[in-house]
Amino acid sequence: MNYSRNVLIVILVGMSLIASFLAWRNITSPTDFADLRIVLTTTTTAFGSLLGIITAGLMFTHGKFSELASELGEKSPDYLSGDLSLERVQTIGNNLLALRKTFSLLETQTAVEEERNLYRRVVEKTSLMYVNLAVLSDLKLIQQGLVQTDLMISAMDPQLYVDYREERSRVKKEWQILATAKRIVDTWEGSRTLLLEKGEKRTSLHRDLRESISLLGLKERLDKNSNVRTETGIIYNQLSENLDKIGKQLRQDRIHQLLSQMENANTIRGKYFYLALAFIATPLFINLLILPQLSAGTASFFQPIISITSSLSVIGIAFLLVYINRILKV
Amino acid sequence: MKKTVEEQMTALLTKYTYPPVEVVIPILQKAGRGDEELASQIREIDMSVLSGTMKILNLKEKNMRTVSKMFGVILSSYGQKYEPVELSETRFCLSISDCPMLHVGKNVDNAVKSRFCDVLCSSTAKAMAQLVLGKEGSCSWDKALIKGGRKCTVAFELVKTK
Repeated sequence: MNYSRNVLIVILVGMSLIASFLAWRNITSPTDFADLRIVLTTTTTAFGSLLGIITAGLMFTHGKFSELASELGEKSPDYLSGDLSLERVQTIGNNLLALRKTFSLLETQTAVEEERNLYRRVVEKTSLMYVNLAVLSDLKLIQQGLVQTDLMISAMDPQLYVDYREERSRVKKEWQILATAKRIVDTWEGSRTLLLEKGEKRTSLHRDLRESISLLGLKERLDKNSNVRTETGIIYNQLSENLDKIGKQLRQDRIHQLLSQMENANTIRGKYFYLALAFIATPLFINLLILPQLSAGTASFFQPIISITSSLSVIGIAFLLVYINRILKV
Repeated sequence: MKKTVEEQMTALLTKYTYPPVEVVIPILQKAGRGDEELASQIREIDMSVLSGTMKILNLKEKNMRTVSKMFGVILSSYGQKYEPVELSETRFCLSISDCPMLHVGKNVDNAVKSRFCDVLCSSTAKAMAQLVLGKEGSCSWDKALIKGGRKCTVAFELVKTK
């Protein structure tokens, strides 16, 4: 896939260069009125054809997006009544809050920067997961017609509440429930392999906690007066059991792939919408402004503009190739 | 449903996790003690990982071939690339291109990294010799990675008894 993408980029750059060269030649060489009229008509036709293909592609992408959205929308009620039951959501929430409290305290107690960073990562990730969990809990209560409770919100500090409001305002569609659940699981699991991570890659909460527990074990040997490790270990096991179940179900239902396909389709839909606009605007500009004014007398004045629009149509073909390549990946 | 070897290894390595060396070294440096405690913790973790690996792979023979198999499976499970260099009845040698010590901060002196490298590797060697071979074994390594090299050679061999 990378190879074909590289080929397309080379084609795109090559065509742009050729088009620019041709445009430059047209500007510098004398061209008569009849030739310019033919160039304009051909350019307009090319733009029209490309617009047709882009519109068809956009419709296809939008159709694919809606199809995926409805597939995910159909699955979300099952999740909310099963794997994301209220009891489980509340247990996970309590565990996350307990971890957040413990590691915030540990963070303030250490003077070693590396250790502080490890604990800070745990605090950040537990906060992020808690916020997403609170959003899920809220959506669940709304969807099942249950009475709203402030149980999860009341446990938030002001910053956490601001993050919650922001996250909650982003979730509007039913399928986004599963995207929220995936974000929780992704924060927990991170990479599925136990690779030795290089540089500043994002680690998973799962890994940060395991390492913290091991580190607390070492500190216990040194200080012999701490019981944080045992308590954290118990919470870690409970969290692991609950989140692993959710993660397993999400993978079984291919939610990760479906969401990634949706994200792809959404990006293409957004990005190429503007391309379609450009392909609508340029022929209009030619037909309404240039063509009526074009005569033997104004030919030399309009020549550079015509050269640019004709080279744009060539560049458009290259864009179209990239577009088709992206659509085929959705 | 029966778990695959890969899944069982992942679960085993998840259960027994090393403390992160990039965090441990600055802590122990600051405390000015703790090498022995770290060594004993590493040995306990290694004993659990090695005995678990033997069970998972159903390895019963107590020889250097078993040692090489165990090293291979454990390193692969960590996503670590390695190359066996030598295997005989008394010696197993392998080359690795990554080690946890490489992820320790640049502000930590190479001599300190080297000292902790000794602590970690000799603990693993002791555990391996005791559990897999039931004999005394030693481990030597050229520490090329922390000196800026691209690969490090680790040799594990049986101690010759007179």
